Amino acid sequence: MSSLSVARPDLLRSARARRFWRHGGLELALVTLLALALWTAISASIARPDRYLPSPVSVLDSSRDLLWKGILPNYLGQTLWRLVTGSLIGIALGIPFGILVGLNRTVSEMCYPILNFFQSISGIALLPIVMIWWGTTEKTVFVVVLYTCFFPIAFSVLTGVRSTPRIYVNALRTLGASRLRIVRDVLLPGAMPSIATGARLSIGYAWRAVIAGEMLAGRRGIGWMIFSAQQVDRTAQVVLGMALIGVLWILLDRYVLRPIESDTIQRWGLVQR
Amino acid sequence: MTRFGRGRLRRILLGAIPFLVLGTLWQMNAVYRWLAPIHMPPPAAVWSAIFTLQEGCPGLLDALRQGSGCLLTNHILSSMGRVALSLLVGLPLGIAFGVLAGIHRRLGNALEPVGVFANAISGIAWVPLAIVWFGVGWRTTLFILLNTVFWLVFFNTLLGVRGVPRVYEHGVLALGATRWKVITQVYVPGALPSIVTGIRMSMGFGWRALIAAEMIGGDRGLGFMLFVSAQEYKTEEVFLGVLVIAVIWMLTDRACLVPLERWTIERWGLVWRPS
Repeated sequence: MSSLSVARPDLLRSARARRFWRHGGLELALVTLLALALWTAISASIARPDRYLPSPVSVLDSSRDLLWKGILPNYLGQTLWRLVTGSLIGIALGIPFGILVGLNRTVSEMCYPILNFFQSISGIALLPIVMIWWGTTEKTVFVVVLYTCFFPIAFSVLTGVRSTPRIYVNALRTLGASRLRIVRDVLLPGAMPSIATGARLSIGYAWRAVIAGEMLAGRRGIGWMIFSAQQVDRTAQVVLGMALIGVLWILLDRYVLRPIESDTIQRWGLVQR
Repeated sequence: MTRFGRGRLRRILLGAIPFLVLGTLWQMNAVYRWLAPIHMPPPAAVWSAIFTLQEGCPGLLDALRQGSGCLLTNHILSSMGRVALSLLVGLPLGIAFGVLAGIHRRLGNALEPVGVFANAISGIAWVPLAIVWFGVGWRTTLFILLNTVFWLVFFNTLLGVRGVPRVYEHGVLALGATRWKVITQVYVPGALPSIVTGIRMSMGFGWRALIAAEMIGGDRGLGFMLFVSAQEYKTEEVFLGVLVIAVIWMLTDRACLVPLERWTIERWGLVWRPS
């Protein structure tokens, strides 16, 4: 028993390591090293690297001060908080709205063009108007993120509900199911794949809207950090912020959004059409 | 399906209702003054903003020549010119590099994380660094747009080429085809649905990124116009700019990109795949 519990983590680790190396881990490591080397070489060869392209070492170095003062975790937390509240509320409003509108053919045909219209006005384009309404407050960023999230998800839920085969709805109806039952057992599962895809897309848009909103409305956060660092000529902080934005989004996409999407499609997406 | 059947007419009429309701509410707001005009300008003011902006513009020819008086058309042409330029440069480059990386399996594996990372920070996050490199102006905004277009097209082409079943390549090679023939006859057609999706995505993200970049680091273009008008509290010009942005995007997406995508998928997307 004891020998098993000792051996198992070892076994797991080696299996995981082998899987990592086989699935492009070696290439990933090589490319990262190559990119870092190239970056260092370029920044060593240009004039005034501090201003134009600081080396990886000095970028890392710039994070020490920010970390030590607690600014970086604070900014990251604020940005993520804006993203999470804005997009969760946007999605929570958008899904029921899309389903309600999709229930009836006439209503859905009526609302399709206007939803499409508002979906094509990006939240960033609305930012100047919202800033006239509420100034550079937290509300401005929140409203823009909410808006950016709401319309894509409502639109794709509507499309998903409408593309559920009518034959399932009719089958349940002949068996005497209520409206609520049809929504719960047919329309919601049928729309699940488009809900998942729409959620991922709208959170992607919302992420960019948060960054842009922080820059333009001047709210403290990671977007504001790179914007203000550029104004005081601290390029190392700009590059650090960009790298963090990239890494955060990859982590969010890879470990939260994409598993949800693929699980949903696996569970509900293979319905016969 | 008839082109202008009853179903289509019904859809158009039904779809017009919410726009009419919103327009009426907007006009009622102008009459009854629920919201101050500085927050919600009346439709007539937005309409007349076109003529205020185009005041010094004698005619269509002058607008096309980007005369100094044609403010609105200048901003529109400037934004759209950048989109055209980035498509002209970014698309061939993205597709070429994507195909090259997709053919070579190891290279593709190595470059995939680069594409993922570049797409994760593409767009707005590059603006501060682009300002450091290129200064405030058209080069910064063009860089942002090109960056977005190139990486999305590159990444989608790479995925598309990698998804083409090897059987086809082997089949064509066995019939004595050259390497170039394999690329033009197998890889590019096989990857086309994915490439076109990439183009549509890159336009969607790129147009948004361009507007944002023009606000922060531009000196002309629609985003710049929005930002300057908002700073001067000319809300009617801001509304006009937002409407123009939405109309341009809807026209590009609905009239060009969606039909292109549908046609490509119909023509090339439904190939048989060995299981």
